[in-house]
Amino acid sequence: MFDIRTGEGNAIVLSGRLDAAQAAKALQTLDALEHSVVADIAGLDYISSAGIGVLVMTQLRLRACGHAIKLANPQPRVRAVIHYAGLEQLFGIE
Amino acid sequence: MEREQHFPRDVAALEAIYAFVCGFFSASGFDPEDSSTVQLFIEEIFTNMVKYSKDGKQDIAIRLRRKGDVVEIRLVDFDVQPFDYARAPAVEPEQLLAQKKAGGLGLHLVRTMADRFTYEHTNGNSMVTIEKRLGG
Repeated sequence: MFDIRTGEGNAIVLSGRLDAAQAAKALQTLDALEHSVVADIAGLDYISSAGIGVLVMTQLRLRACGHAIKLANPQPRVRAVIHYAGLEQLFGIE
Repeated sequence: MEREQHFPRDVAALEAIYAFVCGFFSASGFDPEDSSTVQLFIEEIFTNMVKYSKDGKQDIAIRLRRKGDVVEIRLVDFDVQPFDYARAPAVEPEQLLAQKKAGGLGLHLVRTMADRFTYEHTNGNSMVTIEKRLGG
């Protein structure tokens, strides 16, 4: 089960499993973003290359307009996948 | 300890695949926390098979086997043209950003995270075998 919704302030909240079956649903919401945003992914249990792909596309699109998406509070196993993908810096994960 | 099941070649099958992996972890005694890595490997290869083996008509077989501290993952795509997933060009992160298009990271992740990743094409069937030592 994957869910993406608007959180408090300038934030969006992603939870569940962001895989190849859910990437289109995520992109539908992410494509509507027009400004810099913090994505709270504390509730994201799993991510695959398909999920990372939609986040990369969103980051590149926002950066072209001077904005960015920052990923906050990743679980260790989600962070590990992003690390192995070599994309921690792209998403501002410290 | 091993389990095998066949799944329809559709990303909608991923949920059933995750349940299959979790069932194997419960039965085999592996730490359930390690199951997400196995789910990731399977998703990346399974979705590649669905996407690139256009001639494939049959369900894809997934077998999980415990060999001590190592889990062996095998996916078999029946009656398809060869496609060497283990040697196919993987998209490195730098390329992904330069090309400005999503996708292609899956094989990179499997190669980087797995301990062994091999491909065979025998009797018309594509077979991918991945090994990962768990609990480390």
